[in-house]
Amino acid sequence: MFRKVFKSLSKALTTKEEEVLAAPTPPSPPAKAPSGKGKSQADDKAKAKAADPAPAPKKAEPVVVAQRTPEELCEITPKMSKDEIKAKLAFLYRRFNRATSSLDPKLRAEADIMLDAVVAIREKVFGPM
Amino acid sequence: MAEYVGIDLGTTLSGLAYLKPDGNPEIVPNADGERLTPSVVFFDSHEDVKLVGSAARDGGDPHRTVYQIKRHMDDPEHFVDIDKRKWTPAEISALILSKLKRECSRIIGDINDVVITVPANFNELARKNTVAAADMAGLKVRRLVNEPTAAAVFYAHSQAVKGRILVFDLGGGTLDVTILEVDNDNYRILTSEGARHLGGSNFDEMLLDIYAEQYRKQVNAELYNDERQRRRALQAAEDAKKMLSKLQRVNDTIGNDTNGIARIDLTREVFEKTVSRLLTRAMMLVEQALAGVNMEPKNIDHVVLVGGSTRIPKVKVGLEKLFGKAPKSCGNVDEAVALGAALFAKKSARVREVCNASYGTLAMVLNSETGEEKVQNSVVIPKNTPIPCSKTQIYMTSEPDEKVIEVDITQGEDSDPRYVDIIGRISLEVPPNRPAGCEIAVTYSYDENQRVRALVVDKQSGRSQEVAVAYKGAGILSEEELKKRGTALRQLRIE
Repeated sequence: MFRKVFKSLSKALTTKEEEVLAAPTPPSPPAKAPSGKGKSQADDKAKAKAADPAPAPKKAEPVVVAQRTPEELCEITPKMSKDEIKAKLAFLYRRFNRATSSLDPKLRAEADIMLDAVVAIREKVFGPM
Repeated sequence: MAEYVGIDLGTTLSGLAYLKPDGNPEIVPNADGERLTPSVVFFDSHEDVKLVGSAARDGGDPHRTVYQIKRHMDDPEHFVDIDKRKWTPAEISALILSKLKRECSRIIGDINDVVITVPANFNELARKNTVAAADMAGLKVRRLVNEPTAAAVFYAHSQAVKGRILVFDLGGGTLDVTILEVDNDNYRILTSEGARHLGGSNFDEMLLDIYAEQYRKQVNAELYNDERQRRRALQAAEDAKKMLSKLQRVNDTIGNDTNGIARIDLTREVFEKTVSRLLTRAMMLVEQALAGVNMEPKNIDHVVLVGGSTRIPKVKVGLEKLFGKAPKSCGNVDEAVALGAALFAKKSARVREVCNASYGTLAMVLNSETGEEKVQNSVVIPKNTPIPCSKTQIYMTSEPDEKVIEVDITQGEDSDPRYVDIIGRISLEVPPNRPAGCEIAVTYSYDENQRVRALVVDKQSGRSQEVAVAYKGAGILSEEELKKRGTALRQLRIE
């Protein structure tokens, strides 16, 4: 499901803003965060770009979840340390807990499934409450 | 006339409290003699009457009964169809508020200005719907206040405590966790986190599954075949849940007219195992709240329990394990929110709240080093900013000769646009024939009722456009319709 974005604006990135965006709060953010240390604001000013059609951000597409394990849904691999798993689960929990009150019903449904997966892994790895 | 009145418009129970002349809050009972009114509405088919409360919950046809409408206050498409008349969530809530207003005013005098509580994670739409409900019920909302904030105000007032408090509010439908600082009757909210659809009714549904399974094994038939039977079984499950907070084992009998009865055997251990995942989810919310303000459990001085579901022993055990200290209750956990709301009505100037969600806009973010660019949610007002507040970010047009600047208003802190809501859009016409890179100032203002306004200014031409967020959907009434239906609603017989 795609939603068209009328991308009229480009964000001017200051060094500080870029650092914030690049901060590794989530263990694996959805895509690479920008980084541009040492650049002046003038250097970083966004260049003009064809606005239409914009690279539209799609609303969360319904994930095919029926056949996927909680680990697959949460992208937890056997090589991950407990700390990495904990951070990843915290990130997913924050994202999908927020998504349970999304205006998009499909995202709400996905959020419930993802939260179940997050909790299942949490209990499996760290034990029940 | 009662000057300071607070209403807890709850998922399962609602209550009204007022501030007595001695400065202490008191719950005002309804005309049925109950201190709290079940948030249930029944539309009778024989008489032109809307029943609200216990009578509605216990006796009516479930197909004409509306339960837990609060869970739909944030759904723009939700409505209830009764006799081909569509009732929005705000209207159903207005019926509940009307009963409280009418019946409680017989005891404390006219009720006009009120503080109404809402879950901390109620979004913009749900807050707007709550105000609309009050409006239709003939109430003026002095302030909306987050439920855990109200409870914390009551706790601090009644226990005379100070320091950092974490309020764990597990109600009938939602869980809220709020961290605040109290010092000399001044309250500083640091953060609030909420979990939707995590409350007592979720535990009841899980217990109902156990009932149904045991019934099936014994009788070789289904426990319920229609909504009326399901409701009765659900009530039995809720009763059993309450007993399991006090006893280790509960025996019950349950059945229906068609298939006979079965004996249900439940232990606290089985119940706790069944709801374990919900409890883990609840604890993760506590961790999220702490992480949001860079705190650890040791930084919290008091853990306060609010909401009926905090009577579940495992909840207390889990919190004690996490914080290393026993959580405390502020008297009757069901009434603390309403009592706190009445106190808040007087003390609101002493309470500093924060923005409960981030608000921003979608913008193309360019990485000047790699050249990578993508649309991101660019936050203008971050979550936990003290309110009221106003913040501005400068953006630039991305191409030459843009004639219209369109700014999406987003709600949510995720940088990935897929995980935020677009709750509004501003279109601003600007002069033609300009190069790319013209500066546009986007200012968001956030008021004390957690409502957002957006202002977009083209810095070169000075042209501007300001909007308050407006929603559309089958479950949303227009301003005109709101007035019309409010007038009609105030004429209804509500008991």
